Amino acid sequence: MAKHQLHLRDIILLALIGIVFGVVYFAAGFVYNGLTVLLSPIGYGPMANDITIGIWCMAGPLAGFLFRLPGSAFLGEFLGATVEMFLGDQWGAATLISGFVQGIGTELGFTVTFYKIYNWLTIVMTTVMTTLVTFAWDWFKNGYSHFSGQMIIILLIVRFISVFIFSGILVKLIANLLQRAHVIKG
Amino acid sequence: MNPSLKLFLILFISLEITFTSKLWANIIIILVALALLAVHHFSWRQFCWLIAIPFLPAMALFITISFFSPDRDWFYGWVLVSRIYGYVSLGTLFTATTSQLALARSLEQNCHLPSKYAYGVLAAFNLVPRIRQSINTIYMAARMRGVTLHWWSPTLYFKAILAAIQWSDQLAQAMESHGFVEGQVRSFATVITISKKDWLLLGGIILAVQFLVIALP
Repeated sequence: MAKHQLHLRDIILLALIGIVFGVVYFAAGFVYNGLTVLLSPIGYGPMANDITIGIWCMAGPLAGFLFRLPGSAFLGEFLGATVEMFLGDQWGAATLISGFVQGIGTELGFTVTFYKIYNWLTIVMTTVMTTLVTFAWDWFKNGYSHFSGQMIIILLIVRFISVFIFSGILVKLIANLLQRAHVIKG
Repeated sequence: MNPSLKLFLILFISLEITFTSKLWANIIIILVALALLAVHHFSWRQFCWLIAIPFLPAMALFITISFFSPDRDWFYGWVLVSRIYGYVSLGTLFTATTSQLALARSLEQNCHLPSKYAYGVLAAFNLVPRIRQSINTIYMAARMRGVTLHWWSPTLYFKAILAAIQWSDQLAQAMESHGFVEGQVRSFATVITISKKDWLLLGGIILAVQFLVIALP
């Protein structure tokens, strides 16, 4: 796709990808709640957030791989969050801010590879960036600064693994399928 | 109130309560938001949902901070609970009182968002029921062939994205054949303005929130 700018069709597609993931997230919602109930009695309730974070961040890297344009990863994530907010996602305005933060994280992963490299290295970079940026946000939002040092490190590692499995490996597998179908040029 | 200003206000307050730890300010913000929702004929069932959905994550945070963190800080535990409910009630207040069409129009006219973004996202939003249906179809079609797709199956996303690509092509064509041109000067069927009252309300609420945050514990 030799383009330098997103057009109407691309914007609709980015929002649609956000919706597709949003619809599937609803199925994953019970995982989050189940984990929260299981982990709370041992003091690791917030870990449910870190275990599932990779699921909520999938739209961004996929959009980045699909369009290969600066800004597409950010928009994929952010437009998805916008639609989710109106879909009756009860997290409300926080969804919009989270989408913004996750979008920035993922976008930075593509920025450090100068939008030139699209392989496992990119996956690792987006994983690292998404993990760090979203963790910094939760540091303030969910009061991570009040946890013990050991717990913070465990949460950070769990988050990295989660982002790598869902927003990394799973997204790469989807991108591979799209590449084999010649939707993405290899 | 003007939708763009309202969005800005909601985001501003949400960010402010993220970076401050004031219990009473959060509680007053929640109560005001709930009162406004009540004025807008919010039903009891919806109120129950509003309280039920964030309950688990809020409790998880509370338990962790109050019983397992090094400081055992009960006050901060309650701050986090009230913060979560603050986000949710503010967000619900926004989505319950603003239509997507009004927001898209306002962002285009008042904030000079390119029309391709305003109407592109709006068009996609209207496809939500069809996407739900189509994902169900993909599940069913796979099951008929004896394959069970899960939410972590790449094939599910692959097929859904192919459908999304087709729809985005068709929608863009449909919009263009109805005379939509990117970057062209447009006239507006409904003009949305920002009145003096909107600005005063925005300034007044922001000032009031600052007062709450500074004055109360």
